[in-house]
Amino acid sequence: MRIRRFTPVQKTFHLLLIATFLTQSVTGMARMYSTTLFGQVLGAPFGGYENCLAVHKVVGLAMIVLFACHVIYALFLVLVGKLEKGDSLIPALRDFKEFFSHLRWMLGGRLPEFERWAYWEKFDYWAVFWGMVLLGRTGIMLYNPVETARFMDGSELNIALWMHRLEAVLAMGYIFLVHFGVVVLRKHSFPMDQAMWGGNADYEMMKLEKPEWIARLRAGGRLDGLLVKESAPVLTAFSYLVGLGGVSLGVYLIIGGLINARLVPW
Amino acid sequence: MQHKLILHALLLAGVLLAAPVWAQEEVTSGQYRYKDRESSTGYYEDYEVRPGRGSPFLQWDKVQEEGIGYSRIYADKYRPGNTRFRADAHAGVYDYRYKRCADCHKDKAMINRHVTKEDIACRQCHGGEPMAGVEYYYSPMNPIRRHAYVCSKCHQGASASYARYLVHEPPPFAAATLSVFPKLYYSSWAMLFLVLGTLAFFLTHTGVWVIRDLFTKKDTKGVDDED
Repeated sequence: MRIRRFTPVQKTFHLLLIATFLTQSVTGMARMYSTTLFGQVLGAPFGGYENCLAVHKVVGLAMIVLFACHVIYALFLVLVGKLEKGDSLIPALRDFKEFFSHLRWMLGGRLPEFERWAYWEKFDYWAVFWGMVLLGRTGIMLYNPVETARFMDGSELNIALWMHRLEAVLAMGYIFLVHFGVVVLRKHSFPMDQAMWGGNADYEMMKLEKPEWIARLRAGGRLDGLLVKESAPVLTAFSYLVGLGGVSLGVYLIIGGLINARLVPW
Repeated sequence: MQHKLILHALLLAGVLLAAPVWAQEEVTSGQYRYKDRESSTGYYEDYEVRPGRGSPFLQWDKVQEEGIGYSRIYADKYRPGNTRFRADAHAGVYDYRYKRCADCHKDKAMINRHVTKEDIACRQCHGGEPMAGVEYYYSPMNPIRRHAYVCSKCHQGASASYARYLVHEPPPFAAATLSVFPKLYYSSWAMLFLVLGTLAFFLTHTGVWVIRDLFTKKDTKGVDDED
């Protein structure tokens, strides 16, 4: 038995975010490591160092447009009243309490009963905003440095490049290690969480982890509408292909990046 | 009466108008008289004058050792006399014609992304021989025209502000950067702490969580069984 956790529009947003994020990671790393074989191999499919920058710029703009579309979509959902209180992604005092309860559980306490979005999922969601503000802003500054220097001192570009790099390292480290760890390595998710665009979330898993959400759905009489049978094998295969493909690429980038870091003239 | 008035006026004028005469006193100093007769700027490189007995308070020999050739590399960076202001920055460097830029300026090449990433040679920006110091008035690298004569060769439309990008970028995490580019130093360290702090916290969190999850069991009752 499975439960629908994301709508097709949300799944499409996530798929587009994965595609653009991985493209930015590969082209960005290809440029950062351009003096090493690792970077040259990464850049080869895009046509080399210069073309990587062209792709990085275009996909970066696409990410900003996608981000704007998502903000409009989220505001639309809020304004038309499609969201209940428990569906909100806004951090609340409850999340801080649950965070500490979750830590206690890790050391042997009782598992807290989460609502639809647990604190780590809210953090994942808002981390994209955080990243977009920092990476998007410095990315726009570096998009056309000559034009940027008309509005600020040219030395700001030195800072912008380093902030862009460091924030990119944080984003990649977080997604490839922490986010992938949560959706792949956990016992009940392994080998990959199907909640997104595979075959929806595992109902038993949700009952264990998000009992408050299930209780709210049941009380509102909407639980049956969200329950679905086992997913189609084609979708599951697609999910594994895209998901585990992304995970492998991410892990390859992290390992290659660490091994080659000492060879790069920063 | 009229004569008396003229006499007093002349005496008064003599007293008050004497000031310009006093002002001429300054040329009586030996230094000013010497400069009046001297046709050069009055600034000399060490190799242009006979060595003196030196100052008992300064260890000249040690200063000479670390400089490049005869250049007064330790003269104030922003004052004439520093190699940055000379028409030929390498005048007097021993065996200069047989040297490559990186033989002496390797540190500068290594922190320049134009060199390390774009394979641009030093001379493409610094020009041919004699290579002028970047502050020399007629140098293309002089900040008053650098953007137009150097940067614009590749970056069309470069402005003076654009030319303030530090091509020889100091390493952001090095202690020495604090004095030359504090904004880069502080922002880079702040960002590095944020990166390492966030990753350290969440990696530990996820690691412990993954292990703890091994000891949990799903409730396998179906929705129909519950009802």
